[in-house]
Amino acid sequence: MNASRIHGIVLSGVGGQGVLSLAQILLEALRRSGLHALQSEIHGMSQRGGSVHAQVCYAETPLSSPILDEGGADLLIALEPLEALRYVSMLRINGHLIVSEEPQMDMAGYPPLDDVYAALKAVPGAHLIDTEDLARRLSHRQAGGMALLGMASRFMPVDDAVWREVIAQRFEAKGARITEKNIEAFEAGRGLIQETVGV
Amino acid sequence: MVQSTLALGVEAVGCAAFDAGIKGAFGYPGTPSTEGFEAVELLIHGAKDGRVAQWAANEKVAYDLALGVSYTGHRTLVTMKHVGLNVAMDAYANSALTGVRGGLVLLVADDPGMHSSQNEQDSRRLAEFAWLPCLEPSTVQECYDLTFRAFELSEALQVPVMLRIVTRLAHCRAALTRRVALAPTSLGLVPETSIQNWVLIPANARRRYVDLLAKQPRMLQEAATLNHLVPGTARRGVVLSGMGRAYFGQLLHENPALAALPRLEIAAYPVDPALEQAFLAQVDDVVVFEEDYPVLEERLGLRGTAKVHGRLDGTLPRTGELAPRLLKDALGLEVPAGKTAASLELPIRAPRFCDGCGHVDAYGAMQEALRNVGAPEARVFGDIGCYTLAAQEPMAAIHAVVEMGASISMAVGAALAGQTPSVAVIGDSTFGHSGLPALLTAADSGVNVTVVILDNRVVGMTGQQPSQALDQVERMVLGMGILEAQVQVLLPVPKQHDANVAAMEAALRHPGPSVVVFRRECIQSIRRGVLKDHDRQERERCATEVCS
Repeated sequence: MNASRIHGIVLSGVGGQGVLSLAQILLEALRRSGLHALQSEIHGMSQRGGSVHAQVCYAETPLSSPILDEGGADLLIALEPLEALRYVSMLRINGHLIVSEEPQMDMAGYPPLDDVYAALKAVPGAHLIDTEDLARRLSHRQAGGMALLGMASRFMPVDDAVWREVIAQRFEAKGARITEKNIEAFEAGRGLIQETVGV
Repeated sequence: MVQSTLALGVEAVGCAAFDAGIKGAFGYPGTPSTEGFEAVELLIHGAKDGRVAQWAANEKVAYDLALGVSYTGHRTLVTMKHVGLNVAMDAYANSALTGVRGGLVLLVADDPGMHSSQNEQDSRRLAEFAWLPCLEPSTVQECYDLTFRAFELSEALQVPVMLRIVTRLAHCRAALTRRVALAPTSLGLVPETSIQNWVLIPANARRRYVDLLAKQPRMLQEAATLNHLVPGTARRGVVLSGMGRAYFGQLLHENPALAALPRLEIAAYPVDPALEQAFLAQVDDVVVFEEDYPVLEERLGLRGTAKVHGRLDGTLPRTGELAPRLLKDALGLEVPAGKTAASLELPIRAPRFCDGCGHVDAYGAMQEALRNVGAPEARVFGDIGCYTLAAQEPMAAIHAVVEMGASISMAVGAALAGQTPSVAVIGDSTFGHSGLPALLTAADSGVNVTVVILDNRVVGMTGQQPSQALDQVERMVLGMGILEAQVQVLLPVPKQHDANVAAMEAALRHPGPSVVVFRRECIQSIRRGVLKDHDRQERERCATEVCS
């Protein structure tokens, strides 16, 4: 990472998909990696099936602003393709987009899905993932979020052991099996991008 | 450093109140203040040392509960959102005159940009209005530290102290370092010699108002210790408070050249005029970065010694939240370009009712009944809660939403002006909050008004807190004077649709006031088992006692 500036991650999706929960895992992982980190979220009316987004900022030096400008994010993690398009302008020119191909179309005026995919694929640095297929392969209905996090981990200065620790802690209350399934989904996503990418 | 955890800004306030040794915490839920109460509630319930955390029926009740705790000499916290302070304003403004015994801190969460509110009023104005101090943090750690300070200040000056935060800070999560928690202690009951201070009959109130004004110099002094003038070499300066201070701090880190700008950093009010003058003497023009109203901007502008830029002259947008981008534009800093995507029409994904929500069935029955009585175009007065979502297309079932409890009184007003049928829709918690006096007036008026109470047994919108009207709604309705024959309780499920339509029609046709209660627990609360223990206890109680 670049020591002289803030790094930023935008997360987006639909209320109920677990955007805020993913953001909290990221925040905790960054904090345990000795970085200064802030997370910003907007809840309230947006919870009920509306658009939800969160931001995570981190740096090697203390931070005071929890929000990013357009062109200020290194990474955009989207749990839904249309919700990814809303925030593409938040990405830096050399930023990366990690997005689930699984649409949530229960809204008025959802554009043709092929147009949405085409627009996403045209973004340089876009990584689309068929989370539906992955969930089927792993027999884990909610594997998508963790798989996206696994992909995102390739772009973040966090050690593998820290990720496992934070994920394990997050799912501790739900038992060892659920924890294992989530770590499995994380690893599956991580495997989709082979090399760690410096940002 | 005793503990370091991750916390939301608003939670940090709750943690600080606990650690400052409060005896009681009170509030009414409202985004973005809710988690402040919930944080302190969790700590108090965990401590099991006789302290209390209790949601109140509304913000005024919450404030008076806190004032009562203060009277006994204990520290206390009361939480609400900005529009909640309107409801508590009578208590707040008058408690400035009584003063406090144990430290009383009022957490108010403002919502610039109206993420989850009906207006973006600035609570700093209300602190000024009541002649009371207000502290304004800009980071999660400051939320904690300034809450601690607020308790000390409250006891030193013997006045309530407001802690004002905004949505972005309330919902910013960051590392928090807590201090060693103080055990709750009491300064003792208001002494006999001071009882008259608390009896605001005119003779005492006149004296107490003079006393309050006499405390102003002390308030200025105390606030001055938290406000800072940082000199610079430039003739252009900046004034910073709240998130403006947080955003500028970040920019300064990235652009060290900004250190040339003299800056006035405000974290406490009232602001000492001497500090303002000292700052203005160093600059020819200033930009003011503050959230919501141009409070500091107006004050500095009136001094007339420097050109003041901000929301009033168009340097910043007149409405909405601050953002780092707005600071950069105002300061002429470069804004990097972002990526672009193919331009596709991206329709708004609006929030909607949860699948299987009982409100949808209730509205369906109401709308069909209105068609059946020949009033498909009838205007319906709505209220604040999840059910406000019905104002959106395609449902468009309610046609006015103003403030908590307004539905009933507006429907009565419209009925008095000749509207028939005149319908109000209100949730159970909102009904308990401020629908009760409105229903008393509705019963007294005798006009043809139909009040639909959507009883989902919890405060759904803010996270399914238990409703104070839980299991009480019919008794409350009857107690307000609505005749028993005009009160119906219905189950909003698809299977009951026809029967519900018929019942709604009967209510609409009745020439006097009538109430229809649609009762089905919020499906989110069922999923989380929020009322499981309550319902089990009720069943056990009913097995041994005669239950109504």
